[in-house]
Amino acid sequence: MAHQAHAYHMVDPSPWPLTGATAALLMTSGLAIWFHFHSLLLLYLGLTLLLLTMIQWWRDIIREGTFQGHHTPPVQKGLRYGMILFITSEVFFFLGFFWAFYHSSLAPTPELGGCWPPTGINPLDPFKVPLLNTAVLLASGVTVTWAHHSLMEGNRKEAIQALTLTIILGVYFTSLQAMEYYEAPFTIADGVYGATFYVATGFHGLHVIIGSTFLAVCLMRQIQYHFTSEHHFGFEAAAWYWHFVDVVWLFLYVSIYWWGS
Amino acid sequence: MDVKGRLWKLLSFVVALPGVAVCMLNAVLKNAHEPAEFVPYDHLRIRTKPFPWGDGNHTLFHNSHVNPLPTGYEK
Repeated sequence: MAHQAHAYHMVDPSPWPLTGATAALLMTSGLAIWFHFHSLLLLYLGLTLLLLTMIQWWRDIIREGTFQGHHTPPVQKGLRYGMILFITSEVFFFLGFFWAFYHSSLAPTPELGGCWPPTGINPLDPFKVPLLNTAVLLASGVTVTWAHHSLMEGNRKEAIQALTLTIILGVYFTSLQAMEYYEAPFTIADGVYGATFYVATGFHGLHVIIGSTFLAVCLMRQIQYHFTSEHHFGFEAAAWYWHFVDVVWLFLYVSIYWWGS
Repeated sequence: MDVKGRLWKLLSFVVALPGVAVCMLNAVLKNAHEPAEFVPYDHLRIRTKPFPWGDGNHTLFHNSHVNPLPTGYEK
């Protein structure tokens, strides 16, 4: 029987990188086809393939780590670096949208009335639902920390309670934002104000949904005894991502909702 | 030691969740405001190309009570 003489994980060949790349191609070309020829087929194919890729790739990682023991300390260290680098890349992604917002709002053009918010725009009151949203995300940061300590202390029941509470808060944020989007007197088509507002908050909302889903997967795994008090990196990665989402919101709130009103 | 777990549980129920409750009250107490008067500004309600859905003239979260079209509020 062959044994490796090192602690690293030489991953078995996998089709998921290829299906993922194919999904990316189908989604990008699908979007263009939808815009110009009004057919959604390619886009749907791409989204389906993306979903299947994500489910199967991450399922395989759980198999390799939790069930087959391949996630030794050095391997886990590499996964930590990976998650940190990924979140860093996402920070730069949002930095671009904040750049666009400050570029447009610090020197508002004559076409907008030379002021910010532009003439005719009634911004949302930052001390109503946006403040509630801030409280919701900050609270979820507290509950996810409670979940982590419960996990580390071997308190299975409280880890499940705290994680569930965190996810509920995440879903609550998303529904509040959806309601705000529907009730807002300005739209994405309302000049550069609408564009910067909805693109920045829209991508943030997408990340809240992604983060909530990540946490929900962790909840299912915790219920199924995947995590130990010493080894639960999937949960830690989800918690880091969640804190990142929270911090982005704080910047959005202070810059766009508060200063920008 | 379960100290940290108990600390964060306490913070969750005594600070975080009541904070949310207070903000909920504050947000729900909003007064209803009439939709703003329509002024056909050039820099708002931009339509460079039609949206790929519906009649191409409505945004994704269109609300006819508060979102006028480029020609004004829908009747």
